[in-house]
Amino acid sequence: MKALMSLGALVGVLGLLLLGGMIFDVVPSNTVRLIEGYMPMQMLFEVGCYVLGFAGLSYMLNAMGMALPRFWQGIGFWVFLMMYLKFRVYPPIPFSVRAMYGTVGLVTVFMWVSANEEDWKKFKQPILNVLDAQTGMNRLLRYMYLVLLPILIGGFSFNAMMPKSEEPIELRTVHPAPPASTKVHGKTYTLQTSQSPYRVNPEGKYDQEYSNANIVEQGMGRLMKPNANPWDEKNQGYLKYVREGGEIFFQNCHFCHGDNLNGRGLHAFAFNPIPANFTDPGTIAQLQETFIFWRVAKGGIGLPNEGFPWASVMPPWEQHLTVDEIWKVILFEYWHTGYYPRTWD
Amino acid sequence: MMNSVTRKAGVVAATAFGVLLTSGGFGTAVFAQSGLPEGFKKGDLAPEPSADMVEAGKRVYFTKCVWCHGVDGAGDGPGADRLWPRPRNFNQGTFKIRHTASGELPLFDAKKPVPGQNDLFETVTHGLPGSAMPPWEGILSEEQRLQVLSFVTTQLVKDRKFTDKQSETQTVLQLADLKPKPATDESKKRGSELIVEKKCVECHGMEGRGDGNAFNLKDDWGFSIQPANWHKCWNFRGSRQDPYNVANIFRTFSTGVNGTPMPSFADSTSVDERWDIANFVNSLCERNALGEPLPIDPLTDKPKINFVIPSDMVEGEIPSDIDAEPWQKAPRRYVAMGGQITHKPRNFVNRIDDIWVRSLYNDKSIVYLLEWDDRTKSVAEGKLPWGPTQVNIDIKEQEPKTGESGSIAANQNNYAVYNDAIAIETPVKWKELPAPIKPRYLFGTNEQFPVDIVKWEADGSIRAFKGTGWDKDFEERDNYEETLKVLKGEWKNGRWYVMIERPLGNKKDQDYDEDTFFEVGQYIPTVFFAWDGHNGDAGRKMAVSAFYYTFMNPPVPQETYIYPVVIAFGVVLLEGWVLTRRANKKKGKTL
Repeated sequence: MKALMSLGALVGVLGLLLLGGMIFDVVPSNTVRLIEGYMPMQMLFEVGCYVLGFAGLSYMLNAMGMALPRFWQGIGFWVFLMMYLKFRVYPPIPFSVRAMYGTVGLVTVFMWVSANEEDWKKFKQPILNVLDAQTGMNRLLRYMYLVLLPILIGGFSFNAMMPKSEEPIELRTVHPAPPASTKVHGKTYTLQTSQSPYRVNPEGKYDQEYSNANIVEQGMGRLMKPNANPWDEKNQGYLKYVREGGEIFFQNCHFCHGDNLNGRGLHAFAFNPIPANFTDPGTIAQLQETFIFWRVAKGGIGLPNEGFPWASVMPPWEQHLTVDEIWKVILFEYWHTGYYPRTWD
Repeated sequence: MMNSVTRKAGVVAATAFGVLLTSGGFGTAVFAQSGLPEGFKKGDLAPEPSADMVEAGKRVYFTKCVWCHGVDGAGDGPGADRLWPRPRNFNQGTFKIRHTASGELPLFDAKKPVPGQNDLFETVTHGLPGSAMPPWEGILSEEQRLQVLSFVTTQLVKDRKFTDKQSETQTVLQLADLKPKPATDESKKRGSELIVEKKCVECHGMEGRGDGNAFNLKDDWGFSIQPANWHKCWNFRGSRQDPYNVANIFRTFSTGVNGTPMPSFADSTSVDERWDIANFVNSLCERNALGEPLPIDPLTDKPKINFVIPSDMVEGEIPSDIDAEPWQKAPRRYVAMGGQITHKPRNFVNRIDDIWVRSLYNDKSIVYLLEWDDRTKSVAEGKLPWGPTQVNIDIKEQEPKTGESGSIAANQNNYAVYNDAIAIETPVKWKELPAPIKPRYLFGTNEQFPVDIVKWEADGSIRAFKGTGWDKDFEERDNYEETLKVLKGEWKNGRWYVMIERPLGNKKDQDYDEDTFFEVGQYIPTVFFAWDGHNGDAGRKMAVSAFYYTFMNPPVPQETYIYPVVIAFGVVLLEGWVLTRRANKKKGKTL
C-alpha cells in the first residue's frame, strides 16, 4: 500500500512539474502533445493521473507528519483544475465555459470537504480562526481581508463594466438536418437510398465489406494497408477510384481541409470557423456517405438556416465537379481517414 | 537568452575574426584556420538506412506524400500545379533548408532524429510554413517520419547518393556552438548597413518586403519564385515553427537556399557579421505595439487572429498622416486573407495573405487605414475591358496541368496586369437581419439582404456598390461616392498604404436601404477583399478575409466609475455584519 501510494505521489509530482514547466516555458510547451481525435480521452486520463497523484501525495505528507490542512487541499485542487483548463487545453475554451466547469468543480470540492461532519469542521476551521482573530497573525489577516476584499471586488466590477470589444459568440449547428433528397446536375438523389457508385469490388459490384477491408489502418499515422496501395497500376474497382478521388482532392479540397484531411490547409488560417477536420471522429465518421454528398454538392451557400450560411466558404462543388468526381472525393476521404461511413439503419 | 557570457563570447569572436576581416566587402573570403568557412566543420556521411526502413517508408510515402510530390518524387503529383511554391522535386537531391554548405546534400540520418543534426527530419516534423507542406509531427510518429525519409533519400533522390563518399561531402554549420549575438541597437544598425553592402536589398527590397526583383527569379527547374518578405517571418520556409528565432535566419543566410538564387554568404561574411544581419532581419518581422513578437497560433503557425477591429474616437478632423498620434495609438489588427476558392474563377495562388487594419472615427465619419504587402505596384495600362460594376468577367481559372499554357506555373509572374485594389464589405441594415440570416461573405445574398461595398483601385478611384449575390454584377449607388474620400493611397517599397474615409451614415444624407450605418458600441460585420494586379486578379479572382467586426469604442459611461465604489462600500457593510454576527454568537456561547 505504501509503495503504491509513493508511486502515485511520484507520478503526481512529476506530472505537475511537467505541466508547470510547459506552462512557464521551462520545457517546450509541446513536450506532451494533445493528440488530435483522442483529446477528450487523453484529458480525462491526465486529470485521472493527477487525482491519483494528489491522493498519493497527500498520503505521503500525512505519513511524514506534514499533512496539508483540508482547507488548502480543497482550494489547491480547485485552483489546479482552473489552471489546467486555462493553460493545458488547446484550442482555448471560452471564459464562459471555463466558468461553468469551475462552478461544477467548486461544487465537487465542497461535496468532498463536507462529506462528513468532521471534515467539514476541519475545512471551516481556518475561516473561523480568521474571523475570531485570536492570534496576531489571524488579526493581521482579518484586517488585510477587510481592506483587500472591497478593493478587489470593486476592481472586478469596474473591469466588468468597462466597455469591451470581445468577439461576439455565435452558435451554429455543426451537422444540420439533411433534406430528404437533393438535386445535383439535374438529377434528384434520395439521401436514404442513394449509394456511392464507386464503392465497388474489382468485379464492379457495390461491396461495402470489400471497400472497408481496404481503407487505411487506424492508429498513429493512419497508413494504407500494405497490400492496398491505390497507386498500384493493376488496381480495379475501389482502390482505383480512391486514387482518382485523391487526385481531385489534391487539386480542389486540400487548400482548406489540408494534406492530412485535418482542416489545416494552406488557406485555413484565414477562415472562421476553420474548415472541417475529417480525422476527428465527430465529422465524416458520424455521417452517412449521402449526407456528405449533399454537403459537398451544395456547400456553405446551400446550408439550411440553422447552419448559418454566412460563415462558411465551402464551395457548392456542383459548380466545379461532376457527380462522379464528388462521389470519388468522398470515397477518398473515407479511405484516407480510415473511417467507415455511417449507414442509415 | 542574452546573458553577459554570450555577449562576451560575441565580443571575443568579433575581435578574433575582426583581424581576419579586410574591408568586409562583397566577395571577401573569410576562412577559419581549417580552410572551411567560419562556423563550419567537416562532417561524416550518415550510414545507409536499412532496407526495412526504406520498405516501411514506401508505405508512408504512398499514403501521404505522393499526392503532391508524385509517384517518382519529381514534384509533379496531382496537387502540384495549383501550388506556389511548388512541391519539391526530389530527383536532383536539391533541398532548401540545411545545415550543410551551399550545394551539398542536407543532413539526414535514419537513426538520429536530433534537432540541428537532421535537416530533412526537421523539415518533415515542422513542415515548411508559407507553403502547403504541413508539419507532420503528431500525425506521423517519429519512426514513420524517419522511414519515409529513408525511402525518399534512397529511392527518389536519383541523381545523387547520400552515402557516396566519392562525390558527396558534408560541411556542417555548427549552429549549436555559435551563441547568438545579443540584438543590440548597434548590432542591428551594422546589420542594416551590411544588407546593403552584401546586396541583399537587390532582391529582398529596400524595406525587406521581397519586392527587389520580383519577376525575374527562377528556381533550378525554371519555375518562377519570389524573394522572402522579411516582415512575415512566420512564412519563412526554414522557420521551424519558431519564427522569431534569430538562429533560423542565421542558418539560412550561412548555408543559402539550394535550387534558388539565394547564395550562401558563409564565404563572404564572418560569423559576427552574419549575426548582425540575422538580428536586423529578425527585427523587421511584424511585432506588437510594445515591440514583442506576435503570439503565433499553434494550429496554423500564423499570428493569432482577433476578429474585432476596434475604432477609436477622435475629436475633430481625422489625420491623414500615419505618423500622427491618433493613428500611432490606434490598435492594429492582423486580417488573414485566403484565396477566393469558392466560386469560379478560383484563386489558388493568392499573393496577398494578410492586411493590417486600423480605424478611427469622429462624429461624422469613420476611416480605415489598410496596409498590405504587395511586391509590385500594379496599375492597368489603358482602359480595362470591363466596366467597374461587372463581376462576371472573362477571367479564366487555370486547369491543373503543369507545363500547359493554361497552368499556374506557366502564367505566374506573366499575367496581364490589372489594378491592385482593396474593398470593404459591410451588410446593409445589419441591425435588422433576422437571427440566423446574414448576408454571405461574398457580395451578399440577394435583393433582400444586400451588402455595401466600397472599393478602392490603384488608379486612384474609389467607388461604392451594392452587392446582391456572388454571381450578380454590382449595382451603382446614387451619389454615395461623392461622400467617400481617399485620405491616402501610396505604394512604397513593397507595401500599400490606403486610407479610406466614409460617412457614419444618417437618415438625412444617406440611403438606409443601400448604405451601411455605423453605430457606436455595436458589432458591424466587415469583410475585406484584395486584388493583386500582377497576379491577374480581377473580378472574383481575389483574396478574401473571413467576417470581422468593426467596433467603434464608445466613450466610457459615468456609471462605470460610480457603481464599483457603491459595490465596494456594500462589501464593507457586509463584512461588518458577518464580523458582528460571529462576535455575538461567540459571546452567546462563552457567556
